[in-house]
Amino acid sequence: MNRSRNVNWRVMVFAAVILLITGSVFAVNAQSGAVLRIGIVTPATLDPALGSNDGEVLFNRSIYDHFIDILPDRTLAPNLASDWSISDDGLTYTFNLVQGVKFHDGSDFSSADVVFTFNRLKEVKSSALNLLGDFEVSAPDGNTVVFTLAAPNADFLYGVGSRFALILKDGTTDPVAANIGTGPFMNPQFADDGASVSLSKNANYWKAGEPALDGVEFKYIDDPVTQVNALRSGDVDFIYKISPDQVSVVESESGVSLIKATTNQHPVIRLRTDVGPGQDVKVRQAFKYATDREQLNELVLEGRGTVGNNDPIGPAYGDYFDSSIQNQTYDPQKACELLSEAGYADGLTITLQTINVLGYDQLATVLQQQWEPACIKAEIQVNEEGFYYADDNPNNWLKAELGITGWGDRPVPQGYLVEAYATDGIYNETHWSDPALDDLIKQASATSVPAERVKIYNQISEIFNESGPVIIPWFAPVFAATRVGVNGLVLAPFPGDTDLRTVSLSS
Amino acid sequence: MASVSEDSLDEIGFAPKQQLLVEGIRIARQLASRPLSLLGLIIVAAFVLMALIGPLIAPYEFDTLIRGAARLPPSSSYLFGTDRLGRDIFSRVLWGARDIMTIPGIATALAVMIGSALGMALGYFGGWIDEVVSRVLDSLLSIPALLLALVMLGTIGPSPIGIVIVIVLLYVPIVTRVIRSATLNIRSSGFIEAARLRGESALYILFREILPGVLPALTVEAALRFSYAIFLTASLGFLGLGVQPPSPDWGRMVNEAREGYARTPWALWFPAGAIATLVIGVNLLADGLRRVFRYEGVI
Repeated sequence: MNRSRNVNWRVMVFAAVILLITGSVFAVNAQSGAVLRIGIVTPATLDPALGSNDGEVLFNRSIYDHFIDILPDRTLAPNLASDWSISDDGLTYTFNLVQGVKFHDGSDFSSADVVFTFNRLKEVKSSALNLLGDFEVSAPDGNTVVFTLAAPNADFLYGVGSRFALILKDGTTDPVAANIGTGPFMNPQFADDGASVSLSKNANYWKAGEPALDGVEFKYIDDPVTQVNALRSGDVDFIYKISPDQVSVVESESGVSLIKATTNQHPVIRLRTDVGPGQDVKVRQAFKYATDREQLNELVLEGRGTVGNNDPIGPAYGDYFDSSIQNQTYDPQKACELLSEAGYADGLTITLQTINVLGYDQLATVLQQQWEPACIKAEIQVNEEGFYYADDNPNNWLKAELGITGWGDRPVPQGYLVEAYATDGIYNETHWSDPALDDLIKQASATSVPAERVKIYNQISEIFNESGPVIIPWFAPVFAATRVGVNGLVLAPFPGDTDLRTVSLSS
Repeated sequence: MASVSEDSLDEIGFAPKQQLLVEGIRIARQLASRPLSLLGLIIVAAFVLMALIGPLIAPYEFDTLIRGAARLPPSSSYLFGTDRLGRDIFSRVLWGARDIMTIPGIATALAVMIGSALGMALGYFGGWIDEVVSRVLDSLLSIPALLLALVMLGTIGPSPIGIVIVIVLLYVPIVTRVIRSATLNIRSSGFIEAARLRGESALYILFREILPGVLPALTVEAALRFSYAIFLTASLGFLGLGVQPPSPDWGRMVNEAREGYARTPWALWFPAGAIATLVIGVNLLADGLRRVFRYEGVI
């Protein structure tokens, strides 16, 4: 009798201890709850020099720091570089480093890391090179970095602040495996089911008081509708790039706030200029007369976009945008005449390649209807986004005769021109080669006086308007949403560039 | 030996054309006597009619963007409402009936023809060829249908002909297996033996003696395959692997309406409802046929 009572006591004490332990564990979990959960598309590469979509960039800039920051209003700010100076000839840039910065593994940050990072960008042919141009980088001492340019480059600092130029530790061979940076968050834990990754706060972050969060968790949700539903049900706190159809759904949801950022993100309706009908400038102009931009913006974006012209320099770039351009108003008759002059008296039959996101399939559907009375008979081919941009697709975005391509926001217009419209641009999808344009793009790069650049950009816009192979139906704003309680989040025009260091959570 | 007269054919049980017609009417009568089968028959007939005359009675073309009429709920002027681009959903559903009937229709017809010929031949001749072909078909059957369809359409590119090829490849093994086992059941019957003793050619025996015998199994199988084919076609359309926009493919319409469901639910209801109704109708009809034929095979 006595004995059995003792056993009962032991069991009860044991149970109480177990309860206490588990209880305290849960209590600890509850305390460290200031974790921002973000819905992102499953990343393809987490190499900071290569990761180009929003989710990849957002992840990378949590682990690593920029040398200098490009703010959401497109101005520059110091980050790991405390200040810099430019020589009078515009060929030498000298940067001083912030003191006392440490990597996640405890080692000191120094100029060697910067030199390593920028040399690696060249090695892996990162897109950062588009704005960096030809440069040499060296470190005269531990706290100074000197860049020497081959030619003056007015956008060089935007290259230094590029979303691909995140500072790695000197000697890193595989950043994807190492994940060692100086950034606000560290120690990524990839979930076993491959559906998320969690980062914890870098308690020794060099900026006092930052990050305000205890951690971030990226949840992989590829489907845009599922992302919105995850936000509504409280599974995530922050999503971005909300599709046009979902904006008003989010708007009317309580407990969720919609954020909008004006951007230069735009679809490009483009013709190849080296093969097919687009070789003839008259055909290019016919497409412009056959397209009713107002209706496209109205039907696909519900009027939320800004109607574009025929060049990628949009109103988001202020003075660089040429507001005096008179683009082609919808005139099917005129389009037919131009096509007839170009040798398509019976009209033109062509396949329009497009992708299945951002409303571009709807854009194609409306275009087809607009073009029909303008003597253009288009067959639509909707592709999976990944397939359309894949190298081994014979009709991919660089090869299709007629297609719609999505271009994300760039901090400066020069980015688009160098990448996509200069003869040797790495993404010259139209295969356009106009010596006058090439020359102007070079001039713009070498000109740092804003008023002079405005003139050059206006001339460039004029060339696009007269003979360019692209139509920009609209410049789209980007929509994001957070759950109530997320504070201090300033959405960047490229959502992946959003700075999470000052974001905080209140219950 | 080949000079067998019509009369002697009748004596050994071959049904001439008039008799087939009588048989058809008998089947229709029996179907009509069961309410659920009758419902299936009516639904299928209605959709066939829709495919035939739908485009003639549709108030709009399937791709017409009606200015200023985007996202309108169902009303007397737009029976099923309009979608986000201002297209009349009623018209699109009517136009879409043609695609959803013809693509699975052609594919099922091809699959049933190839499958029955193969199944009868395998069942009748048997032997090691039967063993080998049956095992190969069995291994094809073990691959999940939608997965195989996705891979194949991804490779050959999405197009209506691609869908037909995929469905044929998916369903030939199934039809073959059913018809083969039905053939095995009647292969040792007296009238087959009699035909063989008369010295009839193998082709004659297959198509004149065995085919009428497996016809019940074949009819039920064809109806069932048709309903699965409709669903598969709609699924592929939903996944964007079917026909291209602005085609009024019901599956694609459901997909296009999915994002805007909260605002324009009717754009999803009607094409989804049409798919469901048609599939249920064909299934009820198949079930009815099975009962008429007292067919005991696996469905």
